[in-house]
Amino acid sequence: MINPRIDRHTPVLVQGITGRAGRQHSKLMRQYGTNIVAGVSPKSDTRDVDGVPVYADCREAVTATGATASVLLVGAMQLLDAIRDAVDAGLKLIVTPTEGMPVHDSLAARRLIQAAGVTWIGASTPGMAVPGAAKLGFLPDTALLPGPLGIMSKSGTLSYEAGYRLALRGIGASVWVGVGGDPVKGTRFAELVPFYAADAGTEALLIVGEIGGNEEEEFAAALTAQRFAKPAFALIAGRSSPEGVTMGHAGAIAHGSHGGYAAKRAALEGAGATVFDSLDAMVKGIEAWRKKSA
Amino acid sequence: MYLLEHDAKQLLAAQGIPLPAGVLFDNPAAPPALPPGPWVVKAQVAVGGRGKAGGIRKATGAPEAFAAAADILRTRIRNLPVRTCRIEQQVSGATETYLSLMVDAAAAGVRVMLAPRGGVDIEALSEQPGVVRNEVCDPDAAAVAACVDRLSADVAEPVRGALRAAGRALAQAFFAHECMLLEINPLFVMADGAWLAGDAKMITDDNALERQPALQALLKARGAAYPEVALKAEYGCDYVVIDDAGEIGLLTTGAGLSMMLVDELRAAGLKPYNFLDVRTGGLRGDPTRLVHVLDWIARGKNIKVVLVNVFAGITDLGEFSRLLATALERASLKVPVVARLVGNNLEAARGVLAEHSIALEPDLDAALAIVRKHLAAA
Repeated sequence: MINPRIDRHTPVLVQGITGRAGRQHSKLMRQYGTNIVAGVSPKSDTRDVDGVPVYADCREAVTATGATASVLLVGAMQLLDAIRDAVDAGLKLIVTPTEGMPVHDSLAARRLIQAAGVTWIGASTPGMAVPGAAKLGFLPDTALLPGPLGIMSKSGTLSYEAGYRLALRGIGASVWVGVGGDPVKGTRFAELVPFYAADAGTEALLIVGEIGGNEEEEFAAALTAQRFAKPAFALIAGRSSPEGVTMGHAGAIAHGSHGGYAAKRAALEGAGATVFDSLDAMVKGIEAWRKKSA
Repeated sequence: MYLLEHDAKQLLAAQGIPLPAGVLFDNPAAPPALPPGPWVVKAQVAVGGRGKAGGIRKATGAPEAFAAAADILRTRIRNLPVRTCRIEQQVSGATETYLSLMVDAAAAGVRVMLAPRGGVDIEALSEQPGVVRNEVCDPDAAAVAACVDRLSADVAEPVRGALRAAGRALAQAFFAHECMLLEINPLFVMADGAWLAGDAKMITDDNALERQPALQALLKARGAAYPEVALKAEYGCDYVVIDDAGEIGLLTTGAGLSMMLVDELRAAGLKPYNFLDVRTGGLRGDPTRLVHVLDWIARGKNIKVVLVNVFAGITDLGEFSRLLATALERASLKVPVVARLVGNNLEAARGVLAEHSIALEPDLDAALAIVRKHLAAA
């Protein structure tokens, strides 16, 4: 079973730590509480970033520090090689925020991680977090409040807005996973259903989806197959988007009825999930659930 | 990028895939030299169902072919304008078959679909048991070839041999150009086992563009046919005009939040003009991208107000506001601007926007109320 739960002790390394994004986000993650123990940079001569030791490859970093998770802040064209490096070093959880990973590289990476039993979150994701403990990536702190709601999202920004509005009303998240907006990815909504079903800290689940692909439909099927007993909520973006045009995310494109809003809504409602049409309705609906369950 | 048939066929021809000879027709005043007839005249639009929509016609004489092409250029197909036609040789006496390769996102492999007979309507054909076969295989050319062989094992010659050969050729093209989808429908098989790609639907991965020189060259030569892709390659942001008659220009960041905003505006009876993911993280202190976006929005003939919406997780809103103010001074757009900003360094943004008399509201509903006031006043 895929298990993305991390805590403030989870030893994390950052691949690409010497780059602009690597330095900035390592600092922000550490400020949040993430235990960053090492950095990796195959080319740089820098051996230390703000007190974090930097190694030439993941194997060396893992041997020296015992890191078990990695955040990959490298360019899209370098991502497949960096994932291979992480998998070869025995890391168990890897998070790849990078946008623009070529799909054929994602196909190859998915084969690699499946063969090795590694959990891969991404690409094109703001990352994941256990609010109050640690975050891998750059989910904004203002949207992170500890609480009972499992959150999964394709979109970064829409999930920030959703998490922020919920946090303003005192509703926080247990484990928040940005699965990302790419069509081929490391972890899909449906694959996390068993985890959220079993996770004692999660009392209900929210998915923030969008048009394109079949993930929302797969998620609905997984709820049914799992006999998911907790309330499931969904917010789906793109119901008024034109057909055949990519809406920002490579995965967000509807062709005919395939990947369209109506099919997703029907599948989710058929599986017992509550689907909201607007952010406001989502916040009110979840607030009503919270009041009833508290 | 969803390639027009003609462009896909140029790429496939370069990969050694056999095709009916054809030429591009885009100007009735200067018709191209035709290959020997008779011909089929095909509208070049990136949607399915062209035939049913009147976008495919047959012609036996050159004047007839040019007249049909000129006629098609005046139509819209599924609401898309037709800017070009492909005029190509008709193929007769062939068996029509079907072959496609597609990235299967859920299985992280390649889905191979094959039908040894039938016609263009693959959906109808799917309802006949045993005709359309499909299987997911590993994402490499050898696995695709083996898969095509398995799926065609019970097919009689000469069709079986043609499908096997076509499967190998298409797999090579599929991986060489990093396709999401490559579909040949119909795939013509002649009595002697020779085969021809009658149509070609090719969708490539925009993320791989920087290592795909042939696609880069295509985009450079024919960027007008692919406005969204050309724009993203050149400016680093996603911009789509969703309603020519829209009244609200959107300067927004984040694909999901921008899509949701469009949905909510429309549900509220308002008329957004565009979708935009400007990617504030990529501005790097330079307002140029914002100036471009504002100039594009200014092309909307009914634009009455611009709504800026940024949820800044990382972006510094003070810096963003300074870039926005500079961009508004440089851009041609002269309508009221309402900014809804929330997040990192909002206080600095307040000062900057107040100096430039730009309304700022951290609450989206409150910002929309101001937008409505401007719409009513315009």
